[in-house]
Amino acid sequence: MLWYKAWLETRSRFLTCLATLTLFSGIFVHHAQALVRPEWKSDFNRLLFVNQQFLVIMWVLAVVLLGMGGIVREKAVGTSSLTLALPASRVRLLGVRVATGILQAAMLATVPWIAVFFVSTFARKPILVNQVLSYVLLLIGGGLVYFALAVLVSSLVAGEYTAPAIAFGVVLLGAIVFDSWLRQFNVWRLVTGDFSIDRGTYLLSAHPPWTGILASLSVAVLLLLASAIVVQRRDF
Amino acid sequence: MTNEPVILTRALAKSYGNLAAARDLNLSVARNRITAFLGRNGAGKSTTIKMLLGMTRPTAGSGTVLGKQITNTTESCELRRRVAYVAEDKPLYGYMTVEQTIRFASSFYTDWRRDVEQKLVCDFELPLHRKVKMLSKGMRTKLALLLAFARRPDLLILDEPSEGLDPVGIEYLLQVLVALSAEGVSVFFSSHQIGEVERVADHVCILDKGCLLMDTSLDQLRQFYRRVDLVFSAPPPEREFRISGVQRIETSGRQMCVFASENAEAVVERAHDLNAVSVEVAPVGLRDIFLETVRET
Repeated sequence: MLWYKAWLETRSRFLTCLATLTLFSGIFVHHAQALVRPEWKSDFNRLLFVNQQFLVIMWVLAVVLLGMGGIVREKAVGTSSLTLALPASRVRLLGVRVATGILQAAMLATVPWIAVFFVSTFARKPILVNQVLSYVLLLIGGGLVYFALAVLVSSLVAGEYTAPAIAFGVVLLGAIVFDSWLRQFNVWRLVTGDFSIDRGTYLLSAHPPWTGILASLSVAVLLLLASAIVVQRRDF
Repeated sequence: MTNEPVILTRALAKSYGNLAAARDLNLSVARNRITAFLGRNGAGKSTTIKMLLGMTRPTAGSGTVLGKQITNTTESCELRRRVAYVAEDKPLYGYMTVEQTIRFASSFYTDWRRDVEQKLVCDFELPLHRKVKMLSKGMRTKLALLLAFARRPDLLILDEPSEGLDPVGIEYLLQVLVALSAEGVSVFFSSHQIGEVERVADHVCILDKGCLLMDTSLDQLRQFYRRVDLVFSAPPPEREFRISGVQRIETSGRQMCVFASENAEAVVERAHDLNAVSVEVAPVGLRDIFLETVRET
């Protein structure tokens, strides 16, 4: 039933984000493909790449919002003593919340691209399935670090607006700092596909940037472990 | 069944910076008893309860609840399976309906009693399909109590359980507490309503400024605490009454009031020796005992 609780807590945020991302992607690709001439094959691929850029912005905003909540937030609203009185460890409480968030983040990455796939197919501009899968993989594999960051921030900060503000601030600052001095380590560019796109055909490489994805996932795991330690040690 | 206390603490302490919320607490709560936990606001009652349930880490000392170490994460989880707890502010998830809340809570416990749940829903007139955030304070309290009472826990911990209830609800609550105790459930509850405590409690613990000042049975209190009102023909010498068991002496002209936790007979004897004009001995209520105890600190 902890899953049910996690779902009830996040469903409005999740469904709103899912609808927004799906509608945006579908409408964007539908409208934009009409402007592309049939002979400009690479331009349609470029359109998909641009769609990914917009999608990443919205997806990161969405997963940061989904990462908010948890026992620290519950303490601020006065329900933590009900949750903590349950025969469930704090790690389990966090684990269920994180697992729910990851599933939702995966849905937020997959469903909009499925919509794009169908819109393209109906417009007689079919796109390769492996391109769709690659974009989704980049979003989930590379981008979960943003969700993990949000979970850590929400384990440290209780404020309803403070926590997301700090999380968004860190995301923005990270993107600026890494882009200026450590460009090759910039997760944002990894997720948008900037590191794996062929600038001639605007197709993603057949070989996903596994090193970057694994590194990003490792950082995400470390951030989640840090969240677990913080939650374990905290007084409520 | 073992006679081991359901709650046992040894030098339990909790500090927040320089503020000591609980100091050197040596608490022993007997099995199958209703134990009241009294104290002023900020005395450390809720902090102590939170330490017992693993919500707050003690700064020092140790404790067990139902034989499980409160600082051990695994044991704390096990003990919470056998303890029903109602927190002071009756926390509930506002986004759930009453029915969802009941289903959610019941899924965690094997000792859930569906028949009791249905009876309490009916008795409390709880609207099953209404969102918790739309409930009145009294209804929220009733729902929080239902979540605890619909189980068959070994220990029931209640923090200000009657807050928000009307007199009918309070009466019902007290009856349920007595009934649960008769079924073998140990009850540990904090309250500011001393009248309620006097009616149902077997044992009383008084806490003030984080220190345990009193840990005794209500019967003992009733048996030994006395107020002795004396009248003399001349202003009486207070020092003559400063004997063992005398907690406080108030003198006003020729009148004197002696408050004794024991040894009231010696006070009466001393009064007769000093030719008191009038000597009246009266039992002392828990309210006066409480006020007297916390006043001393």
